[in-house]
Amino acid sequence: MSILEVKNLTHTYDGNTPFMNDAVKDVSFSVKKGEIIGIIGHTGSGKSTLVQHLNGLLKATSGEVLLDGKNIWDDPKKIRLVRSRVGLVFQYPEYQLFEDTVYKDIAFGPKNMGLSDDEIAHRISEICELVGIKAEYLEKSPFDLSGGEKRRVAIAGVMAMQPEIIVFDEPVAGLDPRGRADVIKMIYDYSNKYGATVLIISHNMEDMALIADKLIVMNKGELALFDTTENVFKQHEFLKDIGLNVPMVTQVMLALKEKGLSVPDDIFTVDRAVDYLLTLSKGGNHNA
Amino acid sequence: MDNIIEVKNITFEYEDSDQKDTVLKDFSLNIKRGSFTVILGHNGSGKSTLAKLLNGLYKVTDGEILVDGISTSDEEHEIEIKRRVGLVFQNPDNQLVASIVEEDVAFGPENLGHAPDVIRAEVDEALKSVGMYEFRKSTPHRLSGGQKQRIAIAGIIAMKPDCIVLDEPTAMLDPKGRAEIISTIKKLNRENGITIVLITHFMEEAVDADRVIVMDSGKIVADSTPKDIFSNIKLLKEVGLDVPQTTELLYRLKSGGMNITTDVISIEESAQKIYDAIHLEEI
Repeated sequence: MSILEVKNLTHTYDGNTPFMNDAVKDVSFSVKKGEIIGIIGHTGSGKSTLVQHLNGLLKATSGEVLLDGKNIWDDPKKIRLVRSRVGLVFQYPEYQLFEDTVYKDIAFGPKNMGLSDDEIAHRISEICELVGIKAEYLEKSPFDLSGGEKRRVAIAGVMAMQPEIIVFDEPVAGLDPRGRADVIKMIYDYSNKYGATVLIISHNMEDMALIADKLIVMNKGELALFDTTENVFKQHEFLKDIGLNVPMVTQVMLALKEKGLSVPDDIFTVDRAVDYLLTLSKGGNHNA
Repeated sequence: MDNIIEVKNITFEYEDSDQKDTVLKDFSLNIKRGSFTVILGHNGSGKSTLAKLLNGLYKVTDGEILVDGISTSDEEHEIEIKRRVGLVFQNPDNQLVASIVEEDVAFGPENLGHAPDVIRAEVDEALKSVGMYEFRKSTPHRLSGGQKQRIAIAGIIAMKPDCIVLDEPTAMLDPKGRAEIISTIKKLNRENGITIVLITHFMEEAVDADRVIVMDSGKIVADSTPKDIFSNIKLLKEVGLDVPQTTELLYRLKSGGMNITTDVISIEESAQKIYDAIHLEEI
C-alpha cells in the first residue's frame, strides 16, 4: 500500500485577482514506503508549492493529500501530528538555525514533540552518528561552523524527529562538491536506517541518477512524467524541451549513439558507462 | 595584454570581538584585461572574500590591490573602483532594489550622477546586452531566477565596467537559468571585451575559460588552462572538488586499458575521443 497519495491536487495563488495563477494543476501520484522520489522541473514549475502540501503547510485549492489512506485535513486539529510524521527541509535550512549550541538546535524539534530529555539525548546521539556530526561539535555555536556543516546540522534537526516521510527542497544548492556528496549520503543513510520515504527536489541530475528510485517531472504546474529514474532519463528529448537535462555522462552516450555506435540509452552513471564502454572496446579487439 | 587587477601580497583578517580569523595571507594574483578567469575551491577556501576585496567592498588588512592602477584602499577613488569592477552575488532576490526592471538597472547610473538621456541609453543598451530588453517594464519578482540574475548583471553593465566578478551566480538557478547566465557571461567577455572573474562550484562552467585558478585554505594551489586543471584529477579530489563527468569517464576508461587521452572536457569532444578509440581498436 502506498504511504502517501496525492489526488488531483490543484493550488491557485492569488485566486479571484488579476494575478490568479495555478501553481499546481491536477497533480496525482502515490509513493510507497521506503521509496526515494526525485522531483525535477525548472524554476516556477510548481515543485516547491507542491511539496508544501505534503505536511499541510499549504492547503490545496482542490484535491487531497492522503497519509496512510487518510486525508491529512480530516481532523485539522491533528495537523501537528501529520507534521511530525512528514518532515520538511526547506531551501537553505541553515538560515533557520538560531540556538546557541548545535545540541539545542537539533533538540528543538524533538522537544516540541514533547519527548523526554533522555529520549532527546538518545535521538541526538543516534542521528549525529548517522550523519557524521562529531560529539565535540554539539557544544559549539552553530554559527561557528562552515556552510556545509551548518546545512548538515539543520537537516539533523529534522531527522531527529524521525519522520517517516522527509521532504527536501533543493538540499544541496550552494554546496561545494564534497558538501553535496555528504548531504546526499546522509539522506540515503537516513532512508536506509529507518525505512523512511524521501522526496527530494533537485536540479542536479547526476545526484538524482545516484539516489532516486523514481522521478516526478513537473512542468508549468503539471505533473509531466512520473516513472522510474531510468524511464524518465530515457525521455531526454522531452526533458530538454522543458528546460531540463540528463546527466552529463548520458549526454556523452547519446552523442556516441549519434555517431553510429550502438549504445543503450539507459546509462546514467559513470560506473555503468565505464563498464559498458570497456566491454565494447575489448569486444572490438576480440573480433579483430 | 595589461593587467586590469593586480593583487599584491595581501593579507585579510576578519576581526571578531575575541579572535582574528586570517582568510588570505600573502596572496598575490594578476588578472589580465579582457580575460575570462574561473576560480574554483570548496566552501571556506577564501574565494568569496577575494571577490569582495576585488572591488573594495572589503579592505585589505595588509598589502595592496590595484584596479587600473588605483588602490582599493584609496577612499577618495572608491566610486572609481566600484564603477570599474562590478560584483554579482549568489541570490538574485537580494540584489534587486526597484519594482520595475528598467528602474532597477538605472539605479547605478543614477548614483553616478549621469544625465537622464544618458541613463536612458545606458539602461537600454545594458538590457539588450543581457537579452532582457523586452522585459524592461516588467516587475522583477515575477521573473525567473535566471532572468533576475541577468537583470542584476545589466545593472552592472549600465555602469560600463571593465570587469565583472561573479560569486556563484548560478548556485540558486535551475539548469536553464544556469545556461542563460553562462552564455550571457561568455558573450559579454567575447563581444564587449569585459574582463570576467567567475567563482563557481560547477566544474562544467569552467570549461570555456581562458584560465582556471584553484583555491584551498586561502592559497592558490593550481593556476592553468581548464584542460590542464581537469586532467589533474588527484589534486582536485584532494581539495574537495570534483571533475566534470566527462573527464572522470575518460580518465577511468584510460585506467581501464582504453587507448585514450584525457585532455578534452566538452561532451562532443569526449564522445569523439571515445568513438575514435573504439574504432581504432577495430581496425
